[in-house]
Amino acid sequence: MSDIIKQKIWKIITSHTSADEAQWLQQKASSTPIDLMTAFVAAPRFLTKKIIDTSDAEKASLKPEIRGFSVDGWSLVRLSRVWLLTQLDPSDQEEYVKNIETLFDTAEMNELVALYSALPVLSYPDRWLFRATDAVRSNMGFVFDAIALHNPYPEKYFSELAWNQLVLKTIFNDKPIHFIEGLDNRSNEKLAVTLSDFAHERWAASRSVPAQVWRLVGKFLNQALLADMQHLFDSEQEDDRKAAALACAESAFPSANYLLAKYTELEKSVKTGALTWADLEN
Amino acid sequence: MCLNHNDTAPNPSHFEDSEEISQALAHRDIAWNDYKDLIKGMRFFDPHIHMVSRTTDDYQAMNQAGIVALIEPAFWVGQPRTGLSSFKDYYSSLVGWERFRSSQFGIKHYCTMGLNSREANNEPLAEQVMEILPLYIYKEGVVGVGEIGFDDQTPAEEKYYRLQLELAKQAKLPVQIHTPHRDKKKGTERSMAIALEHGIDPSWVIVDHNNEETVKSVLDQGFYAAFTIYPFTKMGNERMVKVVEQYGPERIMINSAADWGISDPLAIPKTAALMKMRGISDETIRLVTYQNAIDAFGKSGQIDVTDFESGYAVDQTAKFHGNSILRGGQQPAPVKDFLVIN
Repeated sequence: MSDIIKQKIWKIITSHTSADEAQWLQQKASSTPIDLMTAFVAAPRFLTKKIIDTSDAEKASLKPEIRGFSVDGWSLVRLSRVWLLTQLDPSDQEEYVKNIETLFDTAEMNELVALYSALPVLSYPDRWLFRATDAVRSNMGFVFDAIALHNPYPEKYFSELAWNQLVLKTIFNDKPIHFIEGLDNRSNEKLAVTLSDFAHERWAASRSVPAQVWRLVGKFLNQALLADMQHLFDSEQEDDRKAAALACAESAFPSANYLLAKYTELEKSVKTGALTWADLEN
Repeated sequence: MCLNHNDTAPNPSHFEDSEEISQALAHRDIAWNDYKDLIKGMRFFDPHIHMVSRTTDDYQAMNQAGIVALIEPAFWVGQPRTGLSSFKDYYSSLVGWERFRSSQFGIKHYCTMGLNSREANNEPLAEQVMEILPLYIYKEGVVGVGEIGFDDQTPAEEKYYRLQLELAKQAKLPVQIHTPHRDKKKGTERSMAIALEHGIDPSWVIVDHNNEETVKSVLDQGFYAAFTIYPFTKMGNERMVKVVEQYGPERIMINSAADWGISDPLAIPKTAALMKMRGISDETIRLVTYQNAIDAFGKSGQIDVTDFESGYAVDQTAKFHGNSILRGGQQPAPVKDFLVIN
């Protein structure tokens, strides 16, 4: 972990805390691991309960450090907890891992959110892989969100199987997939095929699938998936038709291009850039 | 149906009482349709309820009846735990899964943490529990050390009661005292005497499960007196009304202590309705069913009324986690004309 990211987080913290709060954090950060861990737990007793409204400059300051890492919409407590974790001495790997595991084992909901938010800035990233996949299994919405949305850790470390589970569960939970970091980078054929199966189940139950999920399919269109595109073009929902057009336009499969050409208006919108996936992000 | 004590044998509560109280006019149940208008617009705070034992139907009915926040004290789970991990998982569930589950129904969930008196008697295990307890009592939303105190009134119970009083003092947390069912009067006096001996301000102590016999001394010594409306075995709501008439609202609070026994998560709204019928003022009702609990446990610094005063905690959680949280999962949907007990 780079020292720069610690400093940048600290800079954001100090511009949103009182002198007393900053002093409390600094004092805890330089004490023993057990004191630091207790401070991680007790933070809400010493810090103002508020959401940090980060400036554009603050947002930009984090970008070059870890791609996809952002603190937008975090509470002061969450940010401070993540910072406290960056202050744990990582020199003894086993000791370091044991301390963080203890925090996981005894964590309440908001602590779990902070712990999972911190994964991208912790040392020994591969040691947290099981924990991270466990968060995807969580039924606590906040905990699931902390790993799945706006978190660059899964993109970097998840296996394809674990990644696909994360994306599917996000869709299954009706959460917006465009908040998943690395969504395009990690798209894969297996996921595309599974999504198609998922959509068929939903359609059989007379339910719908959020239109933007088809962004995961375009690159992998084949004859079978093309039938789904036809189904979408025939949909009464405008967003479904737009999704089909966007997906077909991303495909190198010639039949997909022929299909798209039948819908001249949509084709034109896609080709001119008037229509993009961003229009379906809701 | 609440009048016959003998009918309730199969499922004793965690504080089953052996004392026989005439149940005539002690308690009465009220159907939702008969009291919903009486409590319209009232907000309730249940400072003692064990939600891990309750269903989603209960959560929905509680939300519908105006319960906006609650406290779940750590207690025993009906049978003795055999290892530290069971305690750990239980404590974690109070601040984790149960807290989340409650939020899904628009009810703010707090808890108290402690080693209950029954299991204090398993000393080797109690020692281990005491070691991990500090990790939990500082957690967000932990509003006290509880429920602790006496059950059989053994030396081991006293030992861990005292240790936990010290813990509460250190952590600047209120104490929620469970008073014993057998030999209650002496046990209550002893609990209070020990708390005072440890230099704890009585206004930081909530003495729970009071009855007509214990209340006067509890209030006279400056403690908070909590009453558990628990059909069959503890206070009935008719009796509760009389206590409030006699002592007024100061430092008195009502709870349901609903758990896995035959108990009623709507005990507070029903008792409020009964008080209303008996002509008790709205302000007195508000104090004993809402405000006094907030004043007492709020000393922990962990209760921010803006989290639930607007009625729905859902907005509050959303602001902490971005708009994504309102999507998916269960949405609170009050069930119309739902009768939990009839």
